[in-house]
Amino acid sequence: MKPDICLYFQVHQPYRLRRFRVFDVGTGKDYFDERRNREILCKVAEKCYRPANQLLLKLVQRSQGHFRVAFSLSGVVLEQLATAAPDVLYSFQELVASGAVELLGETYEHSLASLTNTEEFVAQVERHSLLIQRLFGQRPRIFRNTELIYSDDLAPLIDRMGFKAVLVEGAQRALDWRSPNHVYEAVSLPGLKLLPRNYSLSDDVGFRFSERSWSGWPLKADTFARWIADSPGQSVHLFLDYETFGEHQWKETGIFEFVEHFVAQAARERLAFVHPSTLALRQAQGPLSFPTPTSWADVERDTSAWLGNRLQRAAHKRLYRLRPQIIASGDAQLVQDWRRLSTSDHFYYMCTKWFADGDVHKYFNPYDSPYDAFITFMNVVQDLEGRVEDGVMNGAHPEAHLVG
Amino acid sequence: MNVLMFGWEFPPYKAGGLATATLGLVKGLLRRNEVTLVVPFPVEQNDLAGLDLRSTSGVFQQLTTRRVASPLTPYMSASAYEFERPQALTGTRMATLYGENLASEVERFAQVASAFAAEFAHDVIDVHDWMTYKAGLLAQKISGRPLVVHVHATEFDRSGDNPNPEICRREWEGLNGATLIIANSNQLKRQVVRRYHISAEKIDVVHWGIEADRTEYHLDSPSPLPGPVVLFLGRVTRQKGPDYFVEMARRVVDYVPRAQFIVAGSGDMLPQLIERAVALGLAERVHFAGPLQGEEVYRALRAADVCVMPSVSEPFGLVALESIKSGTPCLVPRESGVAEVLQNALKVDFWDVEEMANKIVSLLEHAELHDELSERGLAELSSPRFGLDEPAQHTMDVYERAVALGGTTA
Repeated sequence: MKPDICLYFQVHQPYRLRRFRVFDVGTGKDYFDERRNREILCKVAEKCYRPANQLLLKLVQRSQGHFRVAFSLSGVVLEQLATAAPDVLYSFQELVASGAVELLGETYEHSLASLTNTEEFVAQVERHSLLIQRLFGQRPRIFRNTELIYSDDLAPLIDRMGFKAVLVEGAQRALDWRSPNHVYEAVSLPGLKLLPRNYSLSDDVGFRFSERSWSGWPLKADTFARWIADSPGQSVHLFLDYETFGEHQWKETGIFEFVEHFVAQAARERLAFVHPSTLALRQAQGPLSFPTPTSWADVERDTSAWLGNRLQRAAHKRLYRLRPQIIASGDAQLVQDWRRLSTSDHFYYMCTKWFADGDVHKYFNPYDSPYDAFITFMNVVQDLEGRVEDGVMNGAHPEAHLVG
Repeated sequence: MNVLMFGWEFPPYKAGGLATATLGLVKGLLRRNEVTLVVPFPVEQNDLAGLDLRSTSGVFQQLTTRRVASPLTPYMSASAYEFERPQALTGTRMATLYGENLASEVERFAQVASAFAAEFAHDVIDVHDWMTYKAGLLAQKISGRPLVVHVHATEFDRSGDNPNPEICRREWEGLNGATLIIANSNQLKRQVVRRYHISAEKIDVVHWGIEADRTEYHLDSPSPLPGPVVLFLGRVTRQKGPDYFVEMARRVVDYVPRAQFIVAGSGDMLPQLIERAVALGLAERVHFAGPLQGEEVYRALRAADVCVMPSVSEPFGLVALESIKSGTPCLVPRESGVAEVLQNALKVDFWDVEEMANKIVSLLEHAELHDELSERGLAELSSPRFGLDEPAQHTMDVYERAVALGGTTA
């Protein structure tokens, strides 16, 4: 029995901050670098989104329903596509309309809310689901948290929001002797299915594809299809950044041809492509336990990429300390700015674990160093605090009248 | 290998600088080589106490030091020489020996010092910055051994766009006559290629390291000042950008009223700097400590919350490593040599006073930033590339290549 293939791609781009010095605090300057964000989005659209969508659409049409994939598109990348590259948004809509694409749920801002504030987490997931429904006419049924962050205590929450399964990192410490190539269920909530990423095969494409020092180089589509066909288990879960295609792996590496040949070769090997929601209907192989938050980031596969050092923790704490007042203000602009600051990338840029994983942290990183990232973020939050204070003083606070 | 080196006197009295760098190199080299070090030495100064032999346990036995009476010091300008000379001569019998001006003194030193080439067997000659180049060139004529020129800074780094043509000529002679050249950063290598049209293939880059541990790094030194301390440590000359430091202080004080600023060093810009500080209303905020020596350097670093180097030109910037070793984060110019290798430091363009102030304010306000920089910086400096052995090994590789090339110019 050959395993099925579950392909999933993450699409996300943050609203990066502009240079914001302590002297800018209180001057009314915008936080987000509109020009740079647009430039980066246009560049990624050109190198990755457009050619990759075009290729997938071709493969979907050619395979007559055989080829299928899943995507999660963060709310903030969809907003940016709508203004900076609307044609890319249309091509995603076209892909979804073909019936070959399943869209997954996540936080609108691609944030770390699940680790900090349940109320905010639920609010961001709900807003994301609504956006997906509005843009694509599909209600996400499978959940995928920011960078696959997951722990046992999230299961009841995710279940309550109506999701049937969660994509998780196939981390050794959770799987132990077991294979990632099965459907499991949450130990804390049997019935909520877990789909562990096969990180070895995923990273063969995501990281190692163009690495000449790797024994598998050059990776051929038929070899890769063979590896999957020979894998034990029922389904191989390949979860990747969408930017792998054309951005992390340039088109000159032959990555697009690889995908095209791989899909053809999979058909020859009689390997089927399945959606996560199809897998969610399958019998679980057993429970998996994630006592501490696990993610797909860095070699540690924990949350240290975002909240591992004192800079990150101080910045995150300061941001969330503002939340009650921000929400209570009822000021849509304040809420939007605050939420865009909750995007995980801002904290990722403050990561000081340079030497092992520094390279990955450099993708589209607007800063020279994690210290610059921290300084800018803290200045922006200070400005936001000032606006909250001013709002209270000026009576924008809905309860201010009552108190006064 | 036997090395005949024309360098500078230890112990280094000041932070960073040529003498500290030379001392580090010699300590690294002595584990595997014999070194004869020839240095200029003012006869009236006989205080040699403080040379730290403990941490190198015995390796100094392979070091022979020969002193040549001369008032030369590494960063002396032509006018400073004429100013210092009468003082140096007072009451000494050497009065008639010293050259009348800097150029003639450098020439005289070269004649006397190079004579050691005939006295001490050596495989390679090594010189450190322009004042010693001529000695190396003459020694090469005597022994026929290859000449390795260590360039720590060029006249263009020290004097900007108003270089002294006589010094430039002498730098060019040394660089051109060298068998091989060692620059302490990629930035300096580019400078040498661009300014002196020296072939890039002839230049190797060896970034400086620092002693892994010294008791001075751990001195107990509480700050005597009522507020966080921002330190400038270096010569008060155009090259080191002390004027940017004072302008930055003005901006920082607006946001951190308790902040205190120390300028530790002396130089020709001192009077105008004091004047400017007063004009900016910083008389009680900026403290001028004068040049620090020996242990005082580390006491100042230990007492400071951050060390700022706003240098216009900083071919390497050893003070940054001394600062981090003392547990004090530092801000370095983006274009400095040290910025090429050091990750855990704040980096700015030297002219960007606003950005410098922005970063310093943040560091003084957020203990997390100070602590993360301090901790990560120390961890980073424990890497062998920041030690003494690795730079010494790279230097030896260059010596060996120079020997293989023979005494000829590559």
